[in-house]
Amino acid sequence: MSIITVEDLVKSYTTYKRGSGFKETLKSFFKREEIEIKAVDHISFQIKKGSICGILGPNGAGKSTTIKMLCGALYPTSGSIDVMGYSPAKDRMKYVQKIGAVFGQKSQLIWDIPPVDSFAMNKAIYGIEDAEYKRRLGEMAELFDIGEVMYKPTRVLSLGERMKCEFVMAMLHGPEIVFLDEPTIGLDVIAKAKIREVVSEMNRNGTTFILTTHDLEDVEQLAQEVIVINHGKKVFDDSLQNLKSTLGNKKIVSLSLAKAFNEEKLRSVLGDVPVIPGSNDHEILLEVDLDKQNIRDFLGSLNGIVDFKDISIKELPMETIITRIYSE
Amino acid sequence: MKYIKIYFACVKTAFAQAAAYRADFIMGSFITLLSNILFPLVTILIYANGAEFPGWNMWEVLLIQSIYSMSTGISSMLLSSVVWVTMDHIREGSFETVLLKPVSPLFFIISANFDVQSIGLFLGGVIMMVIAVVHTGIGSVLDILSFLLLFVAGIMVLCGMNLIMAAISFKWVGNSRIPEIFDSISTFGKYPLSIFPRTVQILSVIVIPVAVIGFFPASALLGRVDKEAFLALIPCVLFLCFGVWLYNKMIRLYEGVGG
Repeated sequence: MSIITVEDLVKSYTTYKRGSGFKETLKSFFKREEIEIKAVDHISFQIKKGSICGILGPNGAGKSTTIKMLCGALYPTSGSIDVMGYSPAKDRMKYVQKIGAVFGQKSQLIWDIPPVDSFAMNKAIYGIEDAEYKRRLGEMAELFDIGEVMYKPTRVLSLGERMKCEFVMAMLHGPEIVFLDEPTIGLDVIAKAKIREVVSEMNRNGTTFILTTHDLEDVEQLAQEVIVINHGKKVFDDSLQNLKSTLGNKKIVSLSLAKAFNEEKLRSVLGDVPVIPGSNDHEILLEVDLDKQNIRDFLGSLNGIVDFKDISIKELPMETIITRIYSE
Repeated sequence: MKYIKIYFACVKTAFAQAAAYRADFIMGSFITLLSNILFPLVTILIYANGAEFPGWNMWEVLLIQSIYSMSTGISSMLLSSVVWVTMDHIREGSFETVLLKPVSPLFFIISANFDVQSIGLFLGGVIMMVIAVVHTGIGSVLDILSFLLLFVAGIMVLCGMNLIMAAISFKWVGNSRIPEIFDSISTFGKYPLSIFPRTVQILSVIVIPVAVIGFFPASALLGRVDKEAFLALIPCVLFLCFGVWLYNKMIRLYEGVGG
């Protein structure tokens, strides 16, 4: 059963062209050229109740705009959204009572006071009963391990601690759907893992999650369904399994070289492994297909042929994913 | 009932916020108080040098100014931060977090940003008023009632004005000078109306009823208010309604109604 149905969603903005430089600025001060930007361009999708859906896309793809419309904060220019029978923007006041949202870049906690005081304010706003509030707060404090942290002023918390508190803030009223906009942005590995763990846990208890991210790892570890957006258009909408088979099982090996690299020489030794030049002479990226080659053997073979100072293994970058999907 | 509960919960957090920086809070209140006590000193100076506002003795003028401080104190406590908070939200694009709350956005911003420091301003006004009243005396019970009525109307004007400024900041994001315009206009409420040219008098009674902020309530308390003062009640109510309407309208625009 789908809990969210989006049909032919469009959001366009009118902005003004602003020149750079003094002359252009002066010109645009008197006469401004209107430009219409389609942030979201005819997108349709459905999300099943109780699932975790990842909305993936590079910066500026329209992910946040889509999430804002799903949260009821923005009216669509055209098209329709149905979430649990509500039209988010039109029935906003009633609707937001039933959802939660965490915006990785925008804090909902009050800066100068401990998170627990912010929670208490939300308790009044959402009209949460005392017993229910105590039970949920206790539960979530334990789950996130913030029993002590939440009594310290928000401003002294680390980003990871704060993000955990943001999650609690968004979920105290027991929402059926939680929207996460770049929830792991800027977090270290441990904090990311904790947050992913809790999201999975809450999902098992029946909460539906929709998360936007440009981190493929978030999606890999959490989502069952994936929607990929680029330039406001939907370019992929299927299960994670199918996304993986589209992309193949690939890793990027990034090398910092001791000497400037010689492409020809590298190619002759590496064979058909794609070499992507890095940001400078001393950096190269190699795309390894794990279905064809064992990563250990690959690293072993590298050892003999290139002189590198540093090595790291990464997921495919967003841009590559998009190109791959397009080329399919 | 639900809204009253939320309001008090929010005011409680506002106090907690203010208490987080004790020195800042004490300094802030003290400076607000000081700058408002210094202002009447000018009046005292004028009278001490033999000049005067015709028809008004020093204590009567001080009464006007004390009531002016009280109304600005109350309206600041209620919603002076709305202008800044709205501007910050718009500039940083964080207004969505307000729209996520299952309450009216305007109500939420107002309650979540109760300005504790303005208590200093209000209390300063009260102290000054008590001192002034000791010297001037007050009129009948009816006078006191008219005073209360006009006093509330004055607060309505100030609140309406704050809302209008906040609403404007949706469009003119970078404009931190907007409040200064109103500050200068509202200065007219600090003096006896009779000292101004006829045009200014009419403007400050009917168009932007700043006379209601200090002058009219003070005259009412002294039992010398004109009937026409009550005429200004109408624009006062209109001002507040217009402010609320405009702010909500701007929120709708922000949400992108109708593209």
